[in-house]
Amino acid sequence: MTTLVVRRDAATEKFFDGTARGELLIRHCTACGAHAAPQFEACPACQEPTAAWVPAAGTATVISWTAIHGRPGDDAPAPQRVVALVELAEGPWLYAALNGLRAGERPWPGMSVNVAFEHPEGGEAIPVFLPAA
Amino acid sequence: MTDMGKIYGRSPAGFAADAVRRAADDAGLALADLDGLLTSSGVLGGVGLDLQKDLGLKDLRLLSEVQAYGSTAGAMVQYASMAVRSGLAEAVACVFADAPLKEKTSSGAAYARAAGASGWRGLMAAAGIMGANPLYALAARRHMDTYGTTSEQLAHIAVAQRAWAATNPRAQLRDPITVDDHQASRMIAEPFHLLDCCLVTNGGIAVIVTTAERAAHLRRPPVHLLGWAQSHPGYPMHQGSDFGLVSGAAQAGPAALKMAGVSLGDVDVAELYDCYTFTVLLTLEDYGFCAKGEGGSFAASGALAPGGSLPVNTGGGQLSSYYMWGMTPLSEAVLQARGEAGERQVPRHDVVLVSGNGGILDHHSTLVLSPHPHA
Ligand SMILES: [Zn+2]
Repeated sequence: MTTLVVRRDAATEKFFDGTARGELLIRHCTACGAHAAPQFEACPACQEPTAAWVPAAGTATVISWTAIHGRPGDDAPAPQRVVALVELAEGPWLYAALNGLRAGERPWPGMSVNVAFEHPEGGEAIPVFLPAA
Repeated sequence: MTDMGKIYGRSPAGFAADAVRRAADDAGLALADLDGLLTSSGVLGGVGLDLQKDLGLKDLRLLSEVQAYGSTAGAMVQYASMAVRSGLAEAVACVFADAPLKEKTSSGAAYARAAGASGWRGLMAAAGIMGANPLYALAARRHMDTYGTTSEQLAHIAVAQRAWAATNPRAQLRDPITVDDHQASRMIAEPFHLLDCCLVTNGGIAVIVTTAERAAHLRRPPVHLLGWAQSHPGYPMHQGSDFGLVSGAAQAGPAALKMAGVSLGDVDVAELYDCYTFTVLLTLEDYGFCAKGEGGSFAASGALAPGGSLPVNTGGGQLSSYYMWGMTPLSEAVLQARGEAGERQVPRHDVVLVSGNGGILDHHSTLVLSPHPHA
């Protein structure tokens, strides 16, 4: 399954500047101290309108996962891609590809994973997760 | 209700206009008798305020487009009822239509056109998440890991609904299936097989909401709206979220039953929103038909199938009959409440429970219908 190329827009400029240099930026509220997923412009915990960007530690656990199956080719088996809903150590949840599994291997809830970055040609760098060593 | 399924060359607005004409005719009303119109359409849109002019409706006193995804149909009926009760309007048509199927194009391609590749949505797409399948799959997997729910238990929901569809002439899929057929069907997004997923349908459905006094003098037996509620849980994307474990049905169900003055045990038939088998299972738990976490064994007991203790999705639902969002369960509920469901008519239909579900378990509507004005 090919990875789509992602373009930045006004809301995601800082986030993709972060992924380009290998940082997973999330939101941190200077008013109440809560962390939030990167798409929240205001703090969802206290409604402080401007939450700051901070780099996440990059460690997470799997909350849930799915394996998306493509259609089989003429003489190729159906491609499969594992996608996880992960909980960052700071608390926010993210959807991301979970790479680095052996063929047919599946994650489990609570599995430890670490962020890594893919740099598809012509698009922004995107965060993916790998099983923790 | 228009013809359903692979009907090409018509727009959502065309289906919507046809559905409103048919609903008015069914009720014994002229189009000119309508003074309110609420419109809705699928993710690709296409049914809006212009429907008034398409239908030649003059001097409407209520006109709006409503969007609450799969809970829209239930929500529209609630807003129409409030409008009628308040005197804002007296006869309100509520319509949904969609036409995602194009000749020689897969439905996946039809919906993929709606997905963007920039910004946060683009990031989701790059992660592999396009459309609802993977997101509901994540919800279902979480339920499985938490409560031990199995794919075979989900299969029983698909099998039961197909058994109901067998006697629904409007159903797109009527051939019986088994649990083994479900297990052997193509994997879409684990844990969902193809037979866990709803159909794609071109068509339109409308209902007309009016006062009980007026309905009593129309062509068809009236269906009374005894109770209603909505719930939009607003799951945080954060530690501690109940995503996948509980839906808005947990709040909306009891509230609607209380308004209707009935209890869960009074429900004769339930028409539950079924974008996936799992949605039915979660809704059954959240409404309280079984304990939290026991939806799988409840479904596997055969309770939902013809002859079971709780008839559910008696027309085949969106898994087997037609995919018209919240209008699918609502249309079957109206037929059952009227006693007009033909071979699949359930013998007792005094209290009919209807659910709508939208987003990724984000939006819920509940209606309690009855052929009687009071419980
Ligand atoms: Zn805050």
